[in-house]
Amino acid sequence: MNIKKTLSAFGLFAGALTLSLPATAADNYPSRPIEMTVLFGAGSSADLAARALADGLSKELGVPVPVVNRPGGGGAVGYSYVRDQPADGYHIVWNSNSISTVHHQGNLPFGYEEFDAVAQVSTEKPVLAVRENAPWQTLSEFMEEAREAPGRMKVSVSGLGSFTHIAGAAMFNAGEATMTPVPFPGNEAVLNLLGGRVDATVQLPAALVPHVKSGKVRILGVSSDSRLDLFPDAPTTIEQGVNSNMEMWRGIAVKKGTPQEAIARLDAAIKKVTESEDFQKVADNLAFSVSYLPHDQFAQVIAEDDARIAELMAQMASSN
Amino acid sequence: METILSGLQQALSMEALLAVFIGSVLGLIFGAIPGLTYSLVLVLLLPLTFAMPTEAGMGLLLGCYLGGMTGGSVSAILLGIPGTPSAAATVMDGYPMARRNEAGKALGTALFVSVFGGLFSLIIMVFVASYIADVALAFGPAEIFALVLFGLSTICGLSERSLTLGLVAGVLGLMLMTIGLDPLTGVQRLTFGFTDMMQGVNLVVAMIGLFAIPQLVDTFLSKDGNKVDLGKFGKVRCTLPTWQECRQNLGLVTRCSAMGTGIGAIPGAGGPIAAFLAYAHAKRFSKNPENFGKGEIAGVAAPESANNAVTGGTLIPLLSLGIPGDPATAIMLGGLLIHGLQPGPLLFQTNLDTVYAIYAMVAISYIAIFAVQLWGIRLFVKVLAVPGEYLAASILVLCAIGAFAIRNSMFDVYMMIGMGAFGYVLKRLGIPIAPVVLGMVLGEILDTNYRTALIMSNNSHATFFESWTAMILLGLTALTIITQVVKRCRNPAIPANDETTIPNAKNADGASAH
Repeated sequence: MNIKKTLSAFGLFAGALTLSLPATAADNYPSRPIEMTVLFGAGSSADLAARALADGLSKELGVPVPVVNRPGGGGAVGYSYVRDQPADGYHIVWNSNSISTVHHQGNLPFGYEEFDAVAQVSTEKPVLAVRENAPWQTLSEFMEEAREAPGRMKVSVSGLGSFTHIAGAAMFNAGEATMTPVPFPGNEAVLNLLGGRVDATVQLPAALVPHVKSGKVRILGVSSDSRLDLFPDAPTTIEQGVNSNMEMWRGIAVKKGTPQEAIARLDAAIKKVTESEDFQKVADNLAFSVSYLPHDQFAQVIAEDDARIAELMAQMASSN
Repeated sequence: METILSGLQQALSMEALLAVFIGSVLGLIFGAIPGLTYSLVLVLLLPLTFAMPTEAGMGLLLGCYLGGMTGGSVSAILLGIPGTPSAAATVMDGYPMARRNEAGKALGTALFVSVFGGLFSLIIMVFVASYIADVALAFGPAEIFALVLFGLSTICGLSERSLTLGLVAGVLGLMLMTIGLDPLTGVQRLTFGFTDMMQGVNLVVAMIGLFAIPQLVDTFLSKDGNKVDLGKFGKVRCTLPTWQECRQNLGLVTRCSAMGTGIGAIPGAGGPIAAFLAYAHAKRFSKNPENFGKGEIAGVAAPESANNAVTGGTLIPLLSLGIPGDPATAIMLGGLLIHGLQPGPLLFQTNLDTVYAIYAMVAISYIAIFAVQLWGIRLFVKVLAVPGEYLAASILVLCAIGAFAIRNSMFDVYMMIGMGAFGYVLKRLGIPIAPVVLGMVLGEILDTNYRTALIMSNNSHATFFESWTAMILLGLTALTIITQVVKRCRNPAIPANDETTIPNAKNADGASAH
C-alpha cells in the first residue's frame, strides 16, 4: 500500500467534504446534519437522554443529528465551542443550569445571554435523602437538628458549586439551617451515604433509584412543588414548609442570532419528540421527567434561574 | 436453578453469543492498537446497543471491556506503548522481553494470566459479590487515600537506578494532574485563563504522548531506524510459554488476581493502581528482583493478571450497588439503564436471570478472547517485522486520532504532542517514565480523597488513623518506604549496575538538592 496515495485520497475526501457544504439559507433549513454538543462524556444518563433526543430529532427533521461529546471545565469547553460556531442552527447544545453555575463560578466569561433558547426538554428534581435507619423521619426534624448545631450535618454533593450543592444550599437556606457540604466528584456521593460517612446526600433522583427502591435510603424532601412520579410517596420541600424548589432543567439552545425560522423548526421538532412514546420510555428508564417548554417560555426559565443561582452562589462564596 | 438456566439461555442466544464475540474481538483490536483504547470503542458501540436486545447489547459492551483490558498488553509488549493505562506496568518487563525476541512468550503469558485473572474475579463475583460490595462500602476517602499512598510507595520499586529520579518523576506526574478544574471546588488551576486548559490533562492522552512519541522520535532520528528500535527483528518467532513456566507463577498470579478483584471493587480506585501494586508485589517477593525491568516474566504476569481481575471487581459494585467504579463500567451502566434494567440490590431479586446471563457472558467472552488471541499473537508479532519508520509513521497517525477521539478535542492532540516532547526530555535526562504515569494515575484520587477526608473531619488529620483498613494500608506504606531506604543505605552499589544514565542521575541528584 502506497502511503502517499492513501494520504492524497484522504485529502481528496476532505476536500469533497468541504465542497459539499452548501451556503445555507434559512428557508430550506435543515439541509445538512445538525451537530448536538453534549457537555459531558458518553454514558451518563444525561448523555443517554441527549442521544435519545437526537435520534428522535433526526427522524423528525430528516437529517442526521450526530451527538458530539465535548466534556471539560464543567461545561465551559462545550459552551465555548458552540458559541464560536456560526449562528446558523446547525450547531445546537444540550444545555442545562450548568450555563449559570459555570458562569457564576467564574469559569466561563459569558453567560446564558450568548445563546438563544430553543426548547426545554426535561427536568430533574434534586432530593435530600438519608439512610433507612437515620433518626430523622421528616425534613423538618432534619432541619431542626441542623439548626441546633450549625454545620454538623454532613451532606454529600457532587462537587462544591455543582448543581446538587446549590440545590442543597437553597434547601438549607429555606430551612434557616447550615450544612457541611462534602464534595464527591464521581459516583461516590451515594456510596458514602450508604457507608455511613455522611448524614445525608443531595442528588438527582436517578442516582438514588436502586437504593430507594430497595429501602436502604429514604427521601426526606424533593426540591419541588410537586411530587415525583417515580417516588410518589416522597414528600416535597414545599409541602413540608421548606420554601425551595430548585430544579435541574435540560433543553436545547443555539448561538445568539440564529434565524428565528430555524429555532421555530427545531422547537416544533423537539415538541414532537418529547410527545413520543419512545422518548417517554427513555425518560422512565433514566429517571427524568419529560417537561417540554417552547422557546419563549424556556428563555424565561433560564433567565429566572440564572438570577437565583447568581444570588445563591454569591451567598455561598461569602459564607466560605 | 430455573433462573440459572434462563440466564444461560439468554447468554447463549445466537445474538448474544455473536455480540459477545464481536465485542471481545473489537476490544482486543482497539486495545492492541497503540493510540486507540477500548474506552473509545465502548463510546462508539454504546449507541448501537440501544436498538439491540438487552443481552446482546450488554454482551457487546462487556466483551469490548474485557477484550480491551486483555488487548492493552499487546502494544505494551511489542512496542513499549501501553494500549490502556492499566497496561502501563506491563511495559516495564514486557517490552524488554520483546526486544530479546521473546515477544511470543510475553504475549502468551499475558494472555494466559489475563484469562486466569478474569475468570478468577468472575468466580469471586458469582460466590461472594455481596461480601465484596460491603468491602467497597468500607472504603471512604480516608481509606482510599491510604490505598493510593500505598500505591505511590511502589515508586521505590520502580526506580531501580535512582530513588531521587523516581521521586522527581512521581512528583512531576502528580503535578501534571493538578492542571484543569479542581474536581472538588471547580476552581481553575494552572489554566492561565484558557478555556481549553480547563479540560486538564487526560490520562490516556498523556500516556499516549509519554510512551509513544519519544520512541517514534528516536526511530525517526536514528539513521537506520528499521534496524534499531521498533522493527528490530526481520524474522519473528512466536514461542508460547511452557506449562512449566505457567505453573511456576501460579501462586503469584492467584495473589495478584485477588488483589485486582479487591481493588477493582473499590469505586474510584481503578485498574492502574492494581497493576502497579501487583508489579511491586511480584518484585518484592521474587527470588531474583534484580531481573525486574530487564524482561522478567513475572513482571508481565503480575500486572496483567491483576488488571484483568479488576474487570470482575468493578462489576461487583456496578451490579450490586448500581455504582460504576470506572469510565468503562459507567458506560455499561448506561447500556443497562437504557434497556430498563436498574442495577442495584433489587436486580438480584427481580432480574436474577439477567445477572446470571452477565456472569455467563463474562465466561464466554474470556473463552472467545483466549481463542482469538492465541491465534492473534502469531499475527501481532509480525508487526515487529515491519520496518521501523513505516511502523512509526502509522503509529503517529493512530496516536493523533486516538488522542482527538477521546474528547473530540484538538486540544488533546496538542497536549499529546506536548506530553511527547516532555517524555522525550525525560528520557534524555534518564528520568523513568513509569513513576510519572503512576503519579498521573494516582494524582487526582490522592488529591480529592485527601481533601474530602479532611472536609469530613473538620480538618483533623486523625481521621486517617481511625479505621483499621486505613491503618493497615498506611503501615504497609511505611514498611515499603523503610525497607527500601534501609536496602539502599546498606547496598549503595545498586545504582552502579546501571550503564548509561549514571552521569545524568548524578546531575539530577545534585540539582534536586538545591
